[in-house]
Amino acid sequence: MHNEPEPKFTPIRKGLLEFLVLKIVGTESVYVPEILRRLAATEFATQEGTLYPLLSKLRREELVQYEWQESDAGPPRKYYRLTKSGRTQLAAFNQYWARINKTISDIGL
Amino acid sequence: MQPVIKISLNRNAFQFEQDAHDRLKHYLADAAAKLLGNEDRAEILLDLEQAIADQCRKRMQSGQDVITMAELAPALEEIGSVEIPGSPNPPLPPSTGGATPLEQISEGAIISGVCKGLARTARMDVTLVRVIAVVLLFITGGAMILLYTILMLLLPFAPLDPHAAPLRGLPAKCREYVLLIRSRLASLTR
Repeated sequence: MHNEPEPKFTPIRKGLLEFLVLKIVGTESVYVPEILRRLAATEFATQEGTLYPLLSKLRREELVQYEWQESDAGPPRKYYRLTKSGRTQLAAFNQYWARINKTISDIGL
Repeated sequence: MQPVIKISLNRNAFQFEQDAHDRLKHYLADAAAKLLGNEDRAEILLDLEQAIADQCRKRMQSGQDVITMAELAPALEEIGSVEIPGSPNPPLPPSTGGATPLEQISEGAIISGVCKGLARTARMDVTLVRVIAVVLLFITGGAMILLYTILMLLLPFAPLDPHAAPLRGLPAKCREYVLLIRSRLASLTR
């Protein structure tokens, strides 16, 4: 786990996690251990207990979809990728994030 | 010796020692409760079962065929408890356990802080509490002094704010002497 900087930042991280996951799923079709691994080194490090409910919410919202793929060891795995509306949502998020960033750095100058 | 319990996690057969089995049941029951009302509840629970199966398998020695707490506890630790997206942060444990405890508050006290403590616990204005105390002092003809002294000796002191200026005057003296008396009494009774 990343060291906790400040409890006040927790809601920000929680709110952004969804978009980070969309971003990761957007690069290629991935399974959960890979998503966890990519996030592990960041301040968005998370766990299966959080990720599975989140992915299932995103699937309900038709932003991601998954397909089963056989694995070398053990049962088949769910591989997630973005749907068309997931892509649209991700693009909208990236734009919104750029705007927020600009606002934050410009305000109070 | 522990009994061994056979279970299936997302259709993977496993054998668990009794205490590990109980811990697992507890985890899954907690997850199921948190997912109550979620349309994908059954599916998420199966995802979690699979994650637990994978994490346990990763931790088993070759030749080991029974899962113990030594594998399960770190596995569940890594998976983490279920969090529903968009739900508020779990409430922080209240630092004072709900009701504010009755203590004497040395900071800003006139004598020892008994009235200040009473006012905080009763959620009343401290000046009002002090006025009532003074009125009672006259009505009871001094019995209030006795009552105040008893409370002063019995009530715990609220912790001092480490950033505030050091105590001075009567409150500082009261705190010093009361604590001194208590430590003497404590050493006498030992």
